[in-house]
Amino acid sequence: MATHGKKQVNRSPVDWWLFVLGFVLFAAVGFWATPAILYAEKPQPFQFSHKLHMEQVSEGCKSCHAFRKDGSYTGIPNLEKCKECHGEDPNGQTPEEKVFAKEYVAKDKPIPWQVYAKQPPCVFFSHAAHIANAGMECAKCHGDHGKSTKLRTYEYNRLTGYSRDIWGWSLIPLGNPPKRMKMDDCARCHRDNGVRDACFVCHK
Amino acid sequence: MNWDRRAFVKFAVGAVVGLQASPLVPKLMDDVAIWTQNWSWVPDPETGSVAFAKSINPDTLTGVKTRLVKARLSGKRVIRVEGDPEHPLSQGGVIAADASVPQKAYYNAMRADAPMMRKEGVRGRVPAAEALKKVAEKLGELAKAGKASQVAIIADDPYSVTGEMLMRLAAAYGTPNLVFMPSAKQTLALAGQLLFGQNNIGFDLLNSSYTISFGTPLLEGFGAPVATRKAFAAWRKDPMNRATLVQVEPRSSVTASQADLWLACKPGTEGVMAFAIANLIIQSGQADSAVASAAGFDQFKAMLAGMYGLDKASQDTGVSAAKIKAVAEGFMKAPKAVAVCGPGNSGDPGRLFDFMAVLALNAVKGNLGKPGGVVLRENLPWKALGEPMAMPKTPSLDGSDDRIMGLDNAYDLAVAALSGKPYPLEALIVVGCNPAFSGPQAKVMQKLIDQIPFVVSVSEYLDETALMADVVLPAASFLECWGDCATPYGASQAFYGVHQPLIGIFPQAKSQGDWVLALAKELGGKAAAALPFADTKAALAARTAAMGGLDALAKKGYWMQAKPAYGFAFKTASGRLELTPQGLGGKLPVPAACIAPSKERPLLMAGIPSLRTGAGQQPLSPYQIKILDNVTLAHKDQLVAEINPKTAHDLHLGEGDVVEIASAAGKIKVGLHLYHGAAPGMVFVPVGLGHTAFGMYLKDKGANFFEAVEVAADPGSGLPQWALTPVSIAKAGGVSHV
Repeated sequence: MATHGKKQVNRSPVDWWLFVLGFVLFAAVGFWATPAILYAEKPQPFQFSHKLHMEQVSEGCKSCHAFRKDGSYTGIPNLEKCKECHGEDPNGQTPEEKVFAKEYVAKDKPIPWQVYAKQPPCVFFSHAAHIANAGMECAKCHGDHGKSTKLRTYEYNRLTGYSRDIWGWSLIPLGNPPKRMKMDDCARCHRDNGVRDACFVCHK
Repeated sequence: MNWDRRAFVKFAVGAVVGLQASPLVPKLMDDVAIWTQNWSWVPDPETGSVAFAKSINPDTLTGVKTRLVKARLSGKRVIRVEGDPEHPLSQGGVIAADASVPQKAYYNAMRADAPMMRKEGVRGRVPAAEALKKVAEKLGELAKAGKASQVAIIADDPYSVTGEMLMRLAAAYGTPNLVFMPSAKQTLALAGQLLFGQNNIGFDLLNSSYTISFGTPLLEGFGAPVATRKAFAAWRKDPMNRATLVQVEPRSSVTASQADLWLACKPGTEGVMAFAIANLIIQSGQADSAVASAAGFDQFKAMLAGMYGLDKASQDTGVSAAKIKAVAEGFMKAPKAVAVCGPGNSGDPGRLFDFMAVLALNAVKGNLGKPGGVVLRENLPWKALGEPMAMPKTPSLDGSDDRIMGLDNAYDLAVAALSGKPYPLEALIVVGCNPAFSGPQAKVMQKLIDQIPFVVSVSEYLDETALMADVVLPAASFLECWGDCATPYGASQAFYGVHQPLIGIFPQAKSQGDWVLALAKELGGKAAAALPFADTKAALAARTAAMGGLDALAKKGYWMQAKPAYGFAFKTASGRLELTPQGLGGKLPVPAACIAPSKERPLLMAGIPSLRTGAGQQPLSPYQIKILDNVTLAHKDQLVAEINPKTAHDLHLGEGDVVEIASAAGKIKVGLHLYHGAAPGMVFVPVGLGHTAFGMYLKDKGANFFEAVEVAADPGSGLPQWALTPVSIAKAGGVSHV
């Protein structure tokens, strides 16, 4: 059999380990680099313990995150709501409360919380429909936020500006709310519960 | 192991594949897609305080609740139109035509947003005053030259405030040629008048336990479509006490498929079926006593026995005698049964013969004025806009002067005007309708508009008619202006709906009524005196004075008769049921001479109505186009017609063949879909597609059914009739992917 003058190189199976090495190494680099490339952090104005507050109030989440009379949802309580309890001691007791009192209560300045669950502006979301009508628990979407002793790091997507909680903290798209809050999760839950999942149900 | 080129390539490929396997690439792709939402030119709905307001869609008579965001753009913006749960007709439901109202209202490629005028053949925007002055000057010149009657007005709805204004304007100006688009309301009123002396009748569908629908698309746009569907849902609510629905028509339509029994009759024999059932009831001796004492009963009975005996009717209709008998028995035994007639599947106003046969059947059953039967409606407590006005003495072009109840015929008007006999038309004003598309007979109407030297279109959209007009006056959508609408076809209770301005989209768009008033003012003299209202709101306030005040009415959105009125009185000259109506010269109703197929045109064409496409009077929104299935609009925007597989086989045609359907009046190109539910010898074409206006979402999608229909005056009512058209089919080359 003619070889046309080409030199035959005897290759050992070890050569293929180079392929595997490249694959594993760069997959790992991808996993390691993805959060660093895509997300940035923003600090919260000061620390806050949901657990501590839950121990002080009588009506659970509803004590601060309430519905208005017209059925709309207050979301994160405004300064006036905080002052209902914190107004008596203008200096505060803990270091965090001192920041709160000095920077916000004294200056009557709204607290610029970074909102973990904030959805893009192209969708409607009615808390009344989910909590009051469907009887869902807050934790179904927000997790055990009410039991946390401190606020975790807020991360946002560098490209879109949306909170990382929307896409989810897992790097592979697995899991359900409260681990992630993407459109697919909303649609799945709607379907599972016999609620329409047409575009205009949520999208403006 | 050698670290050479090959080894490096292996490592590099592994690295690339490894990177792909990590979340970096898919996540980046996902984020880039989401990032596009944040581009500065992507509209971002602002937050504002949300308010709700009630209104009514006059095209569908659906009571709607509009969700508005205040303090945006020019005041407010509609986010969504949804059903009003408190509305007695729609009870919270909407159809696609209602849901897509905002899309059409805000879509400026469709809308006529400013007055336009054609100067030296080129259409351009002009100030409203200039456009009005031009129209008034032209009409003034014609009146001065004694040619007032050579001005025609074609309008949509005679029962609306705009309709009444136009009647007064036409009378004051001096033209007898005001015609309204034909509707089944006119046919039903005439049939009721002839048989009972009552022209304000409806069907108590909600309370009926056995309904026979004679060739009318009950679930595809009958009356107020949402209300009819709600009645149907109520029939089906209790499985143990289910009401029966029987559909009589040649095609397995949506209604037929939902019915308990479908009587697939031969085309045009729905009235024959009604008489056949009436005959069986009379023969069984179970006819109502009012019928036995009716004027002309013996003659009627003999006619039924002679012409509509079971065997003959079975032969004529193509439905087995056993089935006809079973339906007759079921109908007779049911405590609350009603036979329903209505607009035809082709969007036509129905044949008087069929309507009379159906009403006579109801009389024979003895359900007149009874729950679940044919009921009399209260007259709407509205007030006339002024003293009655004398109509001009010149004979009208459409021949309506000689007809019972003077019913208009826009098609006859067009034919007479085109022939110039007895006189031609010098000007045409089209208000709130689109005859260049929906005809009757679109080609004839296009020819008419083309031939008339001066055409004005008062239209919400730049539709086919507006594109041909010399002057376009932009009409506002119902969300932007004051307006009204009256009792839907066949409703059991009198109803009156009012809509008010909730948003402002195009500042120059006015209600149709406002344009009529502005024109009357510009004309001055008698016209201005006949319509002494500042605006439509003032005219509506006068019209609704007896309905509790316009503001309260607008807030509620409607006035409605409290409940169906049971009890019946015949108001004929004889004070009895007239089975041989004096209005017809004491003669018995005879079957309308159907346009019959010939050797040249061996098939009969009929329309396919649908809630998705409507009856062609209103354009579809982009959303409505998206919800059409591919057996309506196939690949490459090919309209799809249905044909029976056997008929297709006989004509050597197959699934997907592109064919030309040609009638004596026009032709259209469609793809074929073989459908066992289509009657043999017929071809069924979807109605409402094939626009040549309205921009990229609607233009050139499908073909226009109204271009191929052949129109003839109904021998009984004189209304234009296009239920069935003889056509030929020939392969046009190509295949559509149905």
